[in-house]
Amino acid sequence: MGGVPTRSIVRAGSIGGVAAIFIALVGLYTKFATLALVGEQITLGRLLIVAPGIVAGYAVTRPRIAAGERRVVSLRDGVIAGALTGLGTGIVFAAATWFADLFGVDRIREVFVSVNEELIAFLTFDKGIPGGLVILILLCIGGGVVGGFARTAPDDLRKPASVGVLAVLLFGLLQRIVPIALVELGYDADWLYRAGSGLTILGGTVVFLAAAAADIAWNRGGRQVRDRVRKTTEQAPAARLGLFMVLVAILVILPLLLGSVISETLGQVMIYVLLGLGLNIVVGYAGLLDLGYVAFFAFGAYTTGLLTGAFLNTTTGAAQPALSADLNFYVAVWIVALLAAGVGLLIGAPVLRLRGDYLAIVTLGLGEIVSVITASKWAQPLIGGPQGMRGVTKAEIFGLNPQDDPQHFYYLALAFVLLAAFVSWRLSTSRIGRAWTAMREDEQVADATGISTTKFKLLAFAMGGAIGSLGGALFAVSIGSLTPASFEIFVSITALAVVILGGIGSIPGVVVGALVLIGLPGLLREFEDYRLLIYGGALVAIMILRPQGLIPNVRRTRELEEEEVAQDAWAREEGGQAPAVAAVLPGGALGGEREDLE
Amino acid sequence: MSEAGHLLELDGVAKHFGGLYALSGLSLHVDVGEIVSVIGPNGAGKSTMFNVVTGLYQPDDGTIRFRGDGIVGLAPNRITKLGIARTFQTVHLFPNMTILENAMVGQHCRTRSGVLGSVLRLPGTRREEERIRERAGKALAFFGTRLAGYREEQPAFALSYANRRRLEMARALATDPAIVMLDEPTAGMNPRETLELRDHIVRMRDELGLTLLVIEHDMRVVKGVSDRVIALDYGRKIAEGSYDEVANDPQVIEAYLGTKAVG
Repeated sequence: MGGVPTRSIVRAGSIGGVAAIFIALVGLYTKFATLALVGEQITLGRLLIVAPGIVAGYAVTRPRIAAGERRVVSLRDGVIAGALTGLGTGIVFAAATWFADLFGVDRIREVFVSVNEELIAFLTFDKGIPGGLVILILLCIGGGVVGGFARTAPDDLRKPASVGVLAVLLFGLLQRIVPIALVELGYDADWLYRAGSGLTILGGTVVFLAAAAADIAWNRGGRQVRDRVRKTTEQAPAARLGLFMVLVAILVILPLLLGSVISETLGQVMIYVLLGLGLNIVVGYAGLLDLGYVAFFAFGAYTTGLLTGAFLNTTTGAAQPALSADLNFYVAVWIVALLAAGVGLLIGAPVLRLRGDYLAIVTLGLGEIVSVITASKWAQPLIGGPQGMRGVTKAEIFGLNPQDDPQHFYYLALAFVLLAAFVSWRLSTSRIGRAWTAMREDEQVADATGISTTKFKLLAFAMGGAIGSLGGALFAVSIGSLTPASFEIFVSITALAVVILGGIGSIPGVVVGALVLIGLPGLLREFEDYRLLIYGGALVAIMILRPQGLIPNVRRTRELEEEEVAQDAWAREEGGQAPAVAAVLPGGALGGEREDLE
Repeated sequence: MSEAGHLLELDGVAKHFGGLYALSGLSLHVDVGEIVSVIGPNGAGKSTMFNVVTGLYQPDDGTIRFRGDGIVGLAPNRITKLGIARTFQTVHLFPNMTILENAMVGQHCRTRSGVLGSVLRLPGTRREEERIRERAGKALAFFGTRLAGYREEQPAFALSYANRRRLEMARALATDPAIVMLDEPTAGMNPRETLELRDHIVRMRDELGLTLLVIEHDMRVVKGVSDRVIALDYGRKIAEGSYDEVANDPQVIEAYLGTKAVG
């Protein structure tokens, strides 16, 4: 099979088939059968029929190392291998469909509730068995060919094409969002989107061409532009400030452009950006794996409620909490952050001696304790127990009302996020950040080098707790009422996923992580049922394909890139000295100077 | 006992791991401005002694005094702050931090900027950061151009083995110590690098005014630098004196070569 071993093709084809069966069993096909992306024929459901073939075809045509040589698969071989892989996927998929029909969908439905006549009809294109199965197999083969093509075609062709397809997919999925935003901006989007549906054929073509053209343009000149911008900003602080101001200006006018639906989602994203930034200090900077971060979120939310005079929900109506104040939100929030820092110390103190797995387990337990307390009868007089609290108000400021207007909430959240990001950034580049990094790299050696690990672990928990509690305070304002259901372990997991997906230790990474994990599902409400499936899939994919995260800690990556350049420059400056030394040395002595990378 | 004013003094220090006595009643002292070498076969307790002095292990018995004050029970970072710096037998750097940052961490215990100063970059913090940078740069410059120049911004893991050892020493120097304890500083170095390091050890005392306690296996280095040599075996001091005295001590020869190897 050209450059691809038969075994690999069979294996990839079978895995593709199993993936397709999985998609069918969890009900994605029936759910998205009619969600049109482009025109009337290209629906998300149909795309999902070809998707396993595409992925299998893409995976099977990867360059291989054989006989100590890295072999790239040629386009011809790639397309053939892709087609055969797609055929394998199609056969497995079709066989399963046929089996389901023979066995009886009703019997399968007893276990897999999504399997029904409708699914069979969808997978056979209403042509019945076996006629429809031929179409199914042909589509899978098509998918395999596309996958093989996407890997093995020349870069000039495959990259713009891939970017174009992905753009069309994104615009198709955002069909409820983009038209609204366009209309609010005053554009008529009739030619781009069909009313209440996906892109028009014309719209899809335009999006594809525009994205492909943008990719080509970027490869021609974009890189140089980026490098120039980077250089200027590094050399001139004024330019950096200017860039920063432009960025802030964009962030400020964003909700006006995007309308309230997206603003609301962005507000939710920013709550998780705050959680991510706080957790990033604990996990990313100090290297302490905290699985109970929800504790700070809950503490921030409930304390905000108590300090701003919220009521307890009771069966007979409202009641005053046992302990409460009636402060303005903007006064209360600082007290909340301070108290949360104290809670950070309390949580940090018992786990000071623990490392790695043990620390993770204990923090998991501590988080769980907080979750249980919020729902307990014991804490009912204070925070309402299972019934929770309501009436978190007093967040009006300068005529803005963050509670009722998502666009106003966006500004409040933005202010908090900018503050937290600023604090994180300044800390990470300071003596404190260095101490955290040293501690993360080697705790014992850091201690022996003069860093009080006790003090800096506690500081990490306190700072992380304070920032996380701001997320809780924002959350309290955004929904106005608090119930224990909002403070379960899922919050800890999501916050950690945000940090890991974005890139541990990276502030832009946290933002991107939150946008992907909170923003996309928020905008794509259709996927709500499959949120966890998508989280899991995204995390597994990231861990395999890009373990350092989407936006890794930039500084270190750049240092590695620039190392070679700097080395050359240094050699020039030192003049003839380096070669002269080398000449004097006996051959063996140079061995000690070898750059032995770990 | 310490009225004589020893800089560092161990008295009857014992440390055992289960049934194994790594140190049993070890007593020794180091005076200001001395270079003292510690030798002994593998497992003699040399590194354990370092770990006990620097607080990584707690001794089971005995006292350790630094400038007359007991330091047993203090956390390692407190001991470093008092003025005892060390390197490790197997190099322990912060591999993903840059070379300059590694040295800057050394200055940590001499500085005090807190959260507020760091976030607001108050003038005091900025000045302190400059001082840290300058002091760290100086510590790196002690080893000539090997750690200076473009290399300062390289991650530590990119360094050659010998340079990692040098960086570890620079980090120790950056803690502004009174005594530096080097655990086999020439291990894994080639002959030329070993000779260079021998000069560095002497320069640490002559130029930086430091006291040094060195565990070393390379007898040329021991001979070249030591004011005094202490030989350990089975966690006890078996000989002490000038290099020649110790090298010719029958007990030392026996410890290294085994019984009845003499003559």
